[in-house]
Amino acid sequence: MSDTPFKNPGFAGNTGEFDLTEDQVRGRDFVPSRPLEGGHPSGTASYPYMLPEKHPDAPLFEGAYQERFEKLLTRYPDRRAALLPTLALAQEVRGHVSPETMDEVGKLLELPDAYVRGVATFYTMYNKAPVGRYLVQVCTNISCNLCGADEVLAAFLRATDTEMGETSADGNFTIVEAECLAACGFPTCVQINSRYYENVTPRDVPGLLERLREKGE
Amino acid sequence: MVTLTIDGQEVTVPRGTTLLKAAESVGTKVPHYCYHDGLSSPAMCRLCLVEVEGAPKLQPSCVTQAQDGQVVHTGSPNAEAMRRGVLEFYLVNHPLDCPICDQSGECKLQDFVHAEGREHGRSREPKRVFGRDDFGGDVLFYGDRCVMCTRCVRFMNEVEQDPRLTVVERGNRSVIDTFFERGLDGTNWSGNIVDICPVGALVSKDFLYKQRAWDLDHTPSICPSCSQGCNIDLHTRDNLVQRLKPRTNLEVNAHWMCDHGRHNYEFMNRGDRIEAPLVKEGDRHTEVGWKEALSTMLDRAREVGGTVRAVASPFSCNEDLAALKAVVEALGGGEIVYRLARAEEEIPLKGMPTLARRRDLAPNGTGADALGLERVGDDDGTGGLETVSSHDGVVLVLGDALQDQAADFAGGASLFVYLGTHASEAVQGGDFILPVTTFAEQEGTFTNRVGRVQRFWPGLQAPGAARPAWLVLGAVASELTEAEPANTAAEAFSRWVASNEPFAGLDYASLGTRGASMNEPVSAAGD
Repeated sequence: MSDTPFKNPGFAGNTGEFDLTEDQVRGRDFVPSRPLEGGHPSGTASYPYMLPEKHPDAPLFEGAYQERFEKLLTRYPDRRAALLPTLALAQEVRGHVSPETMDEVGKLLELPDAYVRGVATFYTMYNKAPVGRYLVQVCTNISCNLCGADEVLAAFLRATDTEMGETSADGNFTIVEAECLAACGFPTCVQINSRYYENVTPRDVPGLLERLREKGE
Repeated sequence: MVTLTIDGQEVTVPRGTTLLKAAESVGTKVPHYCYHDGLSSPAMCRLCLVEVEGAPKLQPSCVTQAQDGQVVHTGSPNAEAMRRGVLEFYLVNHPLDCPICDQSGECKLQDFVHAEGREHGRSREPKRVFGRDDFGGDVLFYGDRCVMCTRCVRFMNEVEQDPRLTVVERGNRSVIDTFFERGLDGTNWSGNIVDICPVGALVSKDFLYKQRAWDLDHTPSICPSCSQGCNIDLHTRDNLVQRLKPRTNLEVNAHWMCDHGRHNYEFMNRGDRIEAPLVKEGDRHTEVGWKEALSTMLDRAREVGGTVRAVASPFSCNEDLAALKAVVEALGGGEIVYRLARAEEEIPLKGMPTLARRRDLAPNGTGADALGLERVGDDDGTGGLETVSSHDGVVLVLGDALQDQAADFAGGASLFVYLGTHASEAVQGGDFILPVTTFAEQEGTFTNRVGRVQRFWPGLQAPGAARPAWLVLGAVASELTEAEPANTAAEAFSRWVASNEPFAGLDYASLGTRGASMNEPVSAAGD
């Protein structure tokens, strides 16, 4: 991606222990964010993918997204089973799953609207309300908590001047608490959109936010 | 068949029976919330766990099938300790607002905690609060009281098959809801979710804060709102019907009833009743005693003679209609007609093809047909009485309030006798106006659309001197034919109803609370 030294890939702050380029770490084919037009249909939406650009009124689905939707339907025995990835795809397009989105997804999959709501609200990874460009999920589960996740969370809230779950005034950040992100070896772990930032300390927070604001993910 | 031991009692049940039903057959009620006879069992309430010897853990009795040689303990220390623990968890967030909760007195959580729960909860956390939510229709939802048994969700999914309800959110925050503001409006059977809710989470708006459950008397009855003949209980207090609840009869309505029938009870409580026999003297009516009224009427009837034209009502029971038929025959014969309002269409219950709100909006049209009465008039239950109104002989009217008829109804009749509950304008010309009871105030039988004859019992006191029509007409018929009068509904049934071919072989007592079909009677007469 670039030849500039990528300090501590996946880490928030530069501890000086690594001096590698991002290409060296991630490989030359790494695509930092999915192209807005939907990407290749082989990449189905079976994994959650969050984009900084959110289009709450985007249609469900068209273009490459329509292709991906049709592709994922073929991977499940019935339409009910395809509900989770379809909701994930809808969230990728629109940034969050609104009541209208649930209704539309229900119609697409011929499922009762109430059922779609029940499923969408069961899972915390579907955003039920609009979020900022960057959804910052701070793990406060055991490992991270022992290593000061509460302070990290407080630092994020202080730096963005928001309450938990609220979007900052500039529309950039929404800070939420997350349960275990499965990076217990690198506490505190913070997931920002689709990317993990590990070993985050309160000191790293302002710089991290600054970097996101200026350069993106 | 498999044989197993439940609490030391040996019991033989068909293969596939669940432990819960097997225990029920020996009189042991295993506490449960999520299991309901009319729904699938998700085994999620964890209250019906019982100890099965040899099984490593307690087994959910609502889904565990009985096996040969099984030894089951429903009340072992293990099972009881588990239930105590589960109930304590249920109470962690339950508001304990029993004093203002409509379900209090018929609440399963209340019952089970009283029976087996701890005296004090140990939770020190604040309870989470949802408040209440109007689901539309007749249903009000108190989220805090919910025990998440999901009976309501399953009823809407499996029985009404209009999946409007769902569990929203998860864990501690989970709550029953519809799709945002969409609600339950437009559903026709959602009143049942109030019945099957084991706690006070779903309550009826109609019954809200109206009566306490323990003050209500329950009288088995038959829903009068259509020809389906759903078995119901009249819940009464202060001589008023407070609400209707379905009564389980797997052959007619299972556990359900429609909202149309459920809320159509106010007419049973209507005041302004005819309370004493009235005899016309000149241009006004005078109150008289029954004896005088009937003897004067008999004298008049013998005097004028002539053919009879009678109007009956499909809201009258078989006994009433048959006694009317006997009177008409004793007076020299004539025709009896009845009018019946028909709805535009049926309201089916998708999960139960044999149950629907039927088009005929009266309980006993089939009984009237079986007794040879003729249906006249339009589908809105009006018209069709021209020949009766212009008749110059004896005119008898039973039950039909003649709301649509003019004041000069039967003006040319030699004798006009009206037996009913309310006096409309058309009745004012009656020579005799006799007060009779509604179905809620008397014993009798209705015949539903498939010919099932079902008994109902009196839940209300009749006002004033009102008497069952079969008693009044029976006395008249007995007098005319010089027979013994029928003093009970059973006698009226065997004397006048069972003598009609379609009802032959039916025995009043053996109808019981479940009824019997007139095509295949439970026991032949003379058995």
